[in-house]
Amino acid sequence: MVAKLNRYCIAMLLLVMPLSLVAVEADFEGRWMVSLQDQKRTLVGLLELERSGDGWVAYLEGGPATVEIDGNNIVIIADSRDVRGFVFDRRLVGALKDDAMSGSYTQEGAAAQKEAPGPWSAKREVPVTATKKEAKPVDISGMWTATQELDFRKYTMALTPAGKEWLKTYLPYYDQPDVRCTSIGLPALATYSFPFEIIQSEDRYTMIYEYLSKVRRVWMDGRTPSEFMPPSRMGHSNGRWEGSTLIIETTLLDKTVRDFRGELISENARIEERYSLSADGNTLSAVLTVDDPDSYERPPVRRRRWVRNDKTEIFPYTCDPDSFYIPMYEDGEMDMYIERTDRRF
Amino acid sequence: MPPAKDIHRTRPVFDWVLIATIFVCFVRPAFGHHSFTAEFTAEKTATLTGTVTQVWFRNPHVRFLFAVTSADGEEEVWDARGSPVVWLARKGWTRNSIKVGDTVTMYGFLGRDGRKMLSIMTVTLEDGTVLIDRVPE
Repeated sequence: MVAKLNRYCIAMLLLVMPLSLVAVEADFEGRWMVSLQDQKRTLVGLLELERSGDGWVAYLEGGPATVEIDGNNIVIIADSRDVRGFVFDRRLVGALKDDAMSGSYTQEGAAAQKEAPGPWSAKREVPVTATKKEAKPVDISGMWTATQELDFRKYTMALTPAGKEWLKTYLPYYDQPDVRCTSIGLPALATYSFPFEIIQSEDRYTMIYEYLSKVRRVWMDGRTPSEFMPPSRMGHSNGRWEGSTLIIETTLLDKTVRDFRGELISENARIEERYSLSADGNTLSAVLTVDDPDSYERPPVRRRRWVRNDKTEIFPYTCDPDSFYIPMYEDGEMDMYIERTDRRF
Repeated sequence: MPPAKDIHRTRPVFDWVLIATIFVCFVRPAFGHHSFTAEFTAEKTATLTGTVTQVWFRNPHVRFLFAVTSADGEEEVWDARGSPVVWLARKGWTRNSIKVGDTVTMYGFLGRDGRKMLSIMTVTLEDGTVLIDRVPE
């Protein structure tokens, strides 16, 4: 009997041990929510860790990041850009323990916006359940001012070969729509740092953005646009409540760029925004995902947080492109600009 | 010094001159001249005092030309760029904050390749008032 039990135990050990070894090795694999603490703010991002041959690959908010894994230790280097457009790296050094990661991070490279070294941590992403939640709308109407929180502002994204090809010949600034007072549209407008107002009507939300004085309507009655509706920078938006999360899906978009860097948003793009309100009703958070397989191998993710501020004023945005055209004229660049007509939207 | 060594030592210099020439002549124009991203450098800041000669207090971004007298007595015109009016208005700037003829001290990031451009962070007026565009955080 004892011999039988011993044989069973040895067999089980032989069977389970390799499995447990594999399990230990694979612990880093999967989707994680990373949270990073700068002095005054918290940044949040989706980190995907995947095996590739003998090594690992990492994506932060859909953009490639450098990763080194040694035993339980991990180093992640992800690029970002600051308010002035200067590109820098964040270096996250940490370890995995009890299925959670934690460590410290430092900013590397020159940037206008200095970040103090701070802690970071990561927990496994809780997948969104496929079951439909009952709609429990909350009051999001009002004036909202942006905070500096949430978005890692990942710089390099996972472009398709066509997306890379487009970017090669894009000229930052010259080809950017808003410098000549033309709408940059979604997704950029929805996450810029300028205030906006949400007005609730029976069948729609109307959003008025200070930047470029742009307006959009989010239809809550499931309507589809008429066949004559032209594509636009704000597209056609349908909203629905899942629990207390407002989910907005936008299609019928005009070709534009994701931000001033010039990465393309094609006409086939579908943008999902998820808005949620804090328990006290004073903080609004958004996660925006760009599903555009023409331009991106992985959907770029952007986040933004606002605080309710009904005293805020939405300033008029009178736009005059003189400060764009005059220096170009002075520097003899008008011919070059005109020749690039096909690069602009 | 043996001549052979001389040849070996001059080659890298020649290579670098060639690379630099190619870069300056062919690569630079692709970056564009006025982009915040390509035209300014995060590594170099400057504080310059001068007299304002032209003002564009408009969206999408403000622009000021100002004349600075250099160390050797030469007058140089600098081109300063700032944020949109809606951003500055929230920080207390008005269209009358900086006028032609005013003496101002501008602090900001310098243009690349020695271009006389400044990406404004702060402006100090004659009476000591400091106008903030962006502050390094």
